[in-house]
Amino acid sequence: MPLGRLPAWLLLAPALLLLLGMFLVPIGWFLVASLQELGSLAEILEEADAVLLSGAVGGALINTLWISAVVTALVLVIGYPVSYAMSRASGLAFTLLLLCIVLPYFTSTIVRTYAWMVLLGRNGLINQLLLGLGLVSEPVQLLYNRTGVIIGMTYVLLPYMVLTLYAAMKAVDMRLLQAAESMGATPLQVFARVFMPLTLHGVVAGVLITFILALGFFVTPALMGGPGDMMIAMLIEREVELTQNWPGAALMTIVLLVVTLILYGLYSRFTTDEKGAMP
Amino acid sequence: MNDKILKPGRRALLGGAALLAPALAARPARANGEVIVRTPGGVYDDIMRRHVYDPFTRETGIAVRPVAATTAKLFAMFRANNVELDLIDTGNGQLITLERMGALAPIAYDSWRWSKPEDVAPELRLRTQVANFVYCTVLAYSKEHFPNAHPDSWADFWNAERFPGPRMLADMAAGSPNLEFALLADGVPKDQIYPIDVDRALRSLTRIRPSIRRFWDTGALSAQMLADKEVVAGSIWNGRLQTLIDRNAPLAYTWNEHMIQVQALGIFKDARNVAGAQRLIDFMMQPHVQAGYAKELIYGPTNQKAFEGLTPEEIARMPGGERSRRSGFYQNVTWWEDNRDRVNRAWSRWVLR
Repeated sequence: MPLGRLPAWLLLAPALLLLLGMFLVPIGWFLVASLQELGSLAEILEEADAVLLSGAVGGALINTLWISAVVTALVLVIGYPVSYAMSRASGLAFTLLLLCIVLPYFTSTIVRTYAWMVLLGRNGLINQLLLGLGLVSEPVQLLYNRTGVIIGMTYVLLPYMVLTLYAAMKAVDMRLLQAAESMGATPLQVFARVFMPLTLHGVVAGVLITFILALGFFVTPALMGGPGDMMIAMLIEREVELTQNWPGAALMTIVLLVVTLILYGLYSRFTTDEKGAMP
Repeated sequence: MNDKILKPGRRALLGGAALLAPALAARPARANGEVIVRTPGGVYDDIMRRHVYDPFTRETGIAVRPVAATTAKLFAMFRANNVELDLIDTGNGQLITLERMGALAPIAYDSWRWSKPEDVAPELRLRTQVANFVYCTVLAYSKEHFPNAHPDSWADFWNAERFPGPRMLADMAAGSPNLEFALLADGVPKDQIYPIDVDRALRSLTRIRPSIRRFWDTGALSAQMLADKEVVAGSIWNGRLQTLIDRNAPLAYTWNEHMIQVQALGIFKDARNVAGAQRLIDFMMQPHVQAGYAKELIYGPTNQKAFEGLTPEEIARMPGGERSRRSGFYQNVTWWEDNRDRVNRAWSRWVLR
């Protein structure tokens, strides 16, 4: 039987089984068993009240959403022109662009984060350059604060946005742009009324992928952030590692999971067009 | 928290996870009679291999293998009934928690033949754990930044007008945040720190917070921040700091108000090689063995006889002994183990304010 005739569910089965066995079952198990330790529903609700309304979870969640939003916006602004250049480049230029985007993607996040710490420190390369050029008189604080977290995360997440946008832009029929041009549209009009709308689904997909990945970030904010830059994943790690309070960790995990699922719900709403096809 | 741990829910969960685990990562083959030790890792392993593990193997034929494991991993192993190592070389606080869970075997002081239990102070020689060295947290500062007057107490450290500049203190994730120093800075006498008034300590920390560039979570980060001049003063473990000073970093420290912490040895009661682990402890506690590694770690030996094998210059660099009794204080880890949950919550809330 040709591959194309196989029912979709059969083709998806290996991936689904893997997801079920290695992700859904363990995480469900962890959540249920951890919460069962607390006892009855009333006790779970009492603990949930104590954990979630302690102020720490709310603060970390606001930090997480805010940092994720800023990072996503920056990644989009930087990634859109790069993706455009990539979708129009060919030969050596394309290979070079692709390498620049994909190579860092293959490097460990920890290594990349440390590299940024060398650059951004009080006596790092960037501050030495700024001081040397006389642009500033005191070192600028770029590390161990919110700015550091945002720079680091933007860098780590850029490939996800670029590759998503690239796929969408590559699919645009260039003849449509030529047609618009030949009918007298200015370059700006061609972009705003033809190209941009045709790549919008890619933007939505890229934004949501970036945002959802940013929500669970741990290494970069832990290494580059300052005292107040705690994100929700760091809070969960502390419950597990420092106080061995698994029920507390489970409750926080549920909060993160719910937020992520709501966003995913939005994502599938926006990216499923009339034909019911994902981009 | 500790009574909850022994309920069947989590054991069943972890038991299940443990059943799956061998299929995913086959355990490395275990040499005959080998003792597996949890250690802090890094340079520590090299030093201990030279002064303890290799000599022990030569003496007894028993191989020693150091492995890394976080506290959470140790707890998970025990709860899953799948203890993969024998000896635990870690902070005494973690060992207290493990003991309360019923995870540790008593130390067999009676069968020691290389070391004498009475050479170890009673408070460092407990039923299920024995201290192998003491380290301490000191107040360090940059000699470049403070060429004349320098901060000499935690009250000075808190005085950002007299001693301006970015600084650092320990984070909750380092094991415990420096609430003790916050209280000392706030005028609490050394002998009245415990039980810690957490609210008062956090109020005191709020005053210095604008000058705190970062709360460090690992020893490596604290050393890096001082070496890179990210901060001009901070709390740091004396061994980490001394290593920088020995490499000519323009740093110095005060012994005034240093906090002594204890590293200790414990044995999992369900370990496969309890006997080998008991012998390794006995071997490690010998005066000359302790003097060897303490000198290199720049941490204080716990066998009082070990000081006889050290020069006055070497002793001057180490915590413990007479000077510590005068100018330092022991961290009360029992208080910390009793209050860790509460402090962790309060700390997160305070940090996120």
